[in-house]
Amino acid sequence: MNAYLGVDIGSISTKGVVIDEDNNILASDYIWTKGNPIDAVKRLIDNLKVQVDKDRVKIVGIGTTGSARKLIGTMLDATVIKNEITAHAIGTLSLYPDVRTIFEIGGQDSKIILIEDGIVTDYAMNTLCAAGTGAFLSSQAERLGVAVEDFGKIALSSKKPTKIAARCTVFAESDLVHKAQMGYKKEDIIAGLCNSVVSNYLNNVGKGKKIHTPIIFQGGVSKNVGVKKAFEDEVKSEVIVDENGHLMGALGVAILSKNATRRTNFDFSITDDNFETKGVECNGCSNHCEIICVSKNHQMIDSWGNRCSKGDLIDKQNKSHL
Amino acid sequence: MNKMTIGIPKALLYYKYKDLWISFFEYLGCDVVMSPDTSKEILEMGTKKSLDESCLAMKIYMGHVEYLMGKCDYVLVPRIKCLRKKEQVCTNFQALYDLTRNVFNKKILHYNIDMEKGRTEEKGFIKMGKELGFTKVQSLNAYNLAKMTEEKKNKERRETQQKRLETSDKIKILMAGHPYNLYDHFIGNQIATVLKNNSVEIVYSDTYEPLDMDEEIKPITKSNYWTYNKEMIASIAYYESRVDGIILVTSFPCGPDSLSNEMIMRNVHIPITNLIVDESDSDTGLITRIESFIDIIEERKKNG
Repeated sequence: MNAYLGVDIGSISTKGVVIDEDNNILASDYIWTKGNPIDAVKRLIDNLKVQVDKDRVKIVGIGTTGSARKLIGTMLDATVIKNEITAHAIGTLSLYPDVRTIFEIGGQDSKIILIEDGIVTDYAMNTLCAAGTGAFLSSQAERLGVAVEDFGKIALSSKKPTKIAARCTVFAESDLVHKAQMGYKKEDIIAGLCNSVVSNYLNNVGKGKKIHTPIIFQGGVSKNVGVKKAFEDEVKSEVIVDENGHLMGALGVAILSKNATRRTNFDFSITDDNFETKGVECNGCSNHCEIICVSKNHQMIDSWGNRCSKGDLIDKQNKSHL
Repeated sequence: MNKMTIGIPKALLYYKYKDLWISFFEYLGCDVVMSPDTSKEILEMGTKKSLDESCLAMKIYMGHVEYLMGKCDYVLVPRIKCLRKKEQVCTNFQALYDLTRNVFNKKILHYNIDMEKGRTEEKGFIKMGKELGFTKVQSLNAYNLAKMTEEKKNKERRETQQKRLETSDKIKILMAGHPYNLYDHFIGNQIATVLKNNSVEIVYSDTYEPLDMDEEIKPITKSNYWTYNKEMIASIAYYESRVDGIILVTSFPCGPDSLSNEMIMRNVHIPITNLIVDESDSDTGLITRIESFIDIIEERKKNG
């Protein structure tokens, strides 16, 4: 049976799925990236390997998405490398064909995707700051001495959420410290934080966008029931969180690899290879680009990060300035 | 008399007036030296000479001026306040001369334009020529010739753009913004590279010359008193029906753009996105945004 692998490598977590021709999920996994995407993907592939029957399932297409899509795409010799907005939209549409709006809050970024008749018509991403994303929530959870997984549950128990300044993470943080010192209850502060994430999102990422239902909420933060409820209160309609919401990017890119023409033959053997990345500063001009080189078993297979052809490392042996 | 060398920073208004400036000084018999394309090094030099709240384009400018110090007799920094009555240009351009003069504490060549007070470009150039030791006639001649060169070059650029617009069957995206953002190596060029890698035909907003600007901006905004933004809006109104999508290119944190971008985003009816470029070095975020934007346009085209 032909199958397709989709890998979504985010800043915080790495997600993977294996699907069949009918988009059924045969295997899936969700692990922490821990700042090391190469190692994370090795662990991910290991975990997926044990979930499928290797004699029956043949991986013929591989797609990667997420902020490390290029690195991992090179490592896995992916047949499709796609940005996370398109991947998320395709994945979500395969399960909810009539979806109109996707809210996505991940570890470092947040986005809104607007869909009409199954086509992405508009999107927006957070601009310069990562205010109100998962990374912010987990650092605040730590500050309050609460596991981030319990955050949502605790928020729901609040009867009177505290108002937390939401414009900027730095202000939100100092406001939070201040409110805690003033003696506000922990659950009220946590509920206030969830509300501030939502108002921040709607006022920044969602600014000026017409939000139609059905709305799907995904990304790591969608697992937080407190934030989900805050969204529902704010947009005054149901916000759907799929139990596989975290896998949508991986699913989308797996589907894209199914629809692509290029085929591969992947036998989960990646984990035995030695992958390394190395940052090299190019001295070809005053830009001093930091070029990332990826090597497989000490053989360079790809590089990027250069702004001009001087830093092209395809035949780096001839470049004396590196 | 020794030949004088005039230094022109390759930033900000350079991208608007380069042909006028260069040919004016050349007709006068001066040498012209320009700073190189913006590099990380130039940006770093500029950042050290700027307030941290300056916009990225201003920081880059300061780096270019610094580069030219010691390499020429004069650096040219104009002071432009008002190009059309009842309008203004960004306050940075009003302050630019005084700012650079104070930061570098060196004599700087300049000219003033303030149409509210009858200070025309022509008068400014004659005064500037006088400063360099040329007569009124010499300067006026050089100015008139330079004006002709400028017009000719601009016309060529408009025609080339028009031709490519008509003949290309690729996806066409309008890069709309101030020329100093669109063409800067650090700002617009990063975006243009990603677009080209995705085989997009780029249309630059400064290749359109409005005939009746006040009238042409009306589909997007009733009025706007920032002249340079007005030019950009007129261009967007013209190109809207001729391209597949628009990318607004802004340098962080631009005041006039924050105002006019909002009007543009609300009143344009084709795919549009705003990319704000700051000092950060990584282009990962840019690539994701641009690629998804192209995906949206492609999907729309496929589905009519």
